Amino acid sequence: MDWQAVELTARLAGVTTALLMLVGLPLAWWLARSGGGVMRPTVQALVGLPLVLPPTVLGFYLLVDLGPLTSVGRGLVRLLGHPLAFSFEGLVVGSMLYSLPFAVQPMVAGFAAVDRQFGEAASTLGASPARIFWGITLPLARGSVWTAALLTFTHTVGEFGVVLMLGGNIPGATRTMSIALYDAVQDGQYVDANRTAGALLAVAFAGLLALYWRRGRGVRGGDLV
Amino acid sequence: MTKPWTVLFAPSGAGKTTILRLIAGLDRLEKGKIVSRAESEGELVLADTDGRVHVPAHRRSMPMVAQRPALFPHRTVLGNVLYAGTERQAAGRDMQLDALLELCRVGHLRNRYPSQISGGESQRVALARALWAPARALLLDEPFSGLDVGLRDALIPEVKEYLAARRVPVLQVTHDVGEVFAVGAEVIRLEDGRVAAQGPPEIVLERERTRLLRQLGG
Repeated sequence: MDWQAVELTARLAGVTTALLMLVGLPLAWWLARSGGGVMRPTVQALVGLPLVLPPTVLGFYLLVDLGPLTSVGRGLVRLLGHPLAFSFEGLVVGSMLYSLPFAVQPMVAGFAAVDRQFGEAASTLGASPARIFWGITLPLARGSVWTAALLTFTHTVGEFGVVLMLGGNIPGATRTMSIALYDAVQDGQYVDANRTAGALLAVAFAGLLALYWRRGRGVRGGDLV
Repeated sequence: MTKPWTVLFAPSGAGKTTILRLIAGLDRLEKGKIVSRAESEGELVLADTDGRVHVPAHRRSMPMVAQRPALFPHRTVLGNVLYAGTERQAAGRDMQLDALLELCRVGHLRNRYPSQISGGESQRVALARALWAPARALLLDEPFSGLDVGLRDALIPEVKEYLAARRVPVLQVTHDVGEVFAVGAEVIRLEDGRVAAQGPPEIVLERERTRLLRQLGG
């Protein structure tokens, strides 16, 4: 097995999950609370796009928009010293967009499921919205936060299309397990392909098993998308 | 309200809870004005639709005990009560806390979780939590409805004394005649959304009392 690809995949999924939780937490909180108007459905549709869009579309736009053809891309090249495409950082950006709904949607469901009466009681007792979020809402929705992290991680591990478009196939930088698997099959290396595929299957199954096991033991709020 | 304890009496569905929620700041007024006139701080506008004022609930210092106790399920009884206090490290805090828990008859439950106590116990914990919070006024929405009458009648004078010592006025809503007489406070009677009568319960609720006594007399 290509251990370099395993290490890279784990690093990519770890970094993506950590960053996406930081972005997704406030976003989910806002979505769970915001009222009427066009903002909420628009943001929801944007967040949900990666669920229905072919990953190659996402990869294509990122490749073009973050490349030297646009001012954003040129700015990034100046900032990083290299283009975002065909680099680890580029994969992180692509993975974050690709896995965004898997991070946000379970948390929106989790926050929305916390009974309003707790927040209302806390606010009449003098607790600020921030204190209510950290002390009441987040602990009560922690099941769905773990679900979000777990799904984001496993989903990023299994990502293929975005990486292919955006990352190419550079060992140690952009050659993830799913790419290594594709390569092995192309080369007729079925033994190697079998090992990589088995490892990916095991990670995905273990992730979902952990999720449902936890639910089975009475942890509330961890809806799967 | 000018008396230390005021009861808003109206039948179910008359909008009593809505009034409390508006005063607490949980709902917004459609039109009108809410002003607090405490001796210590003078006039304070909490909400005014003309002036576009809306002080958020957490800045009003008006703890509310709702009909459902709404205890935080992930915190113990003690954790629930302590959530209400700001980081008060004043001397004698623990003694005050113990006294309050005993007053509400929940001292023996302090390390239990809300799922491990009964409905009446939960209601007393919710009361203790509200009494521990910094308060400009206390809002009570039928807080004694789940308690048996003996306990209720023993609890009320002690709660009254506790609040009088801290000069915290109370606005309570109820449709329960027995609860009004047990409290023995100034009553405002609401009918069709308007104040129909105001005064001591013997006068304002004379009709209900006579009917109740006749029923008891057989």
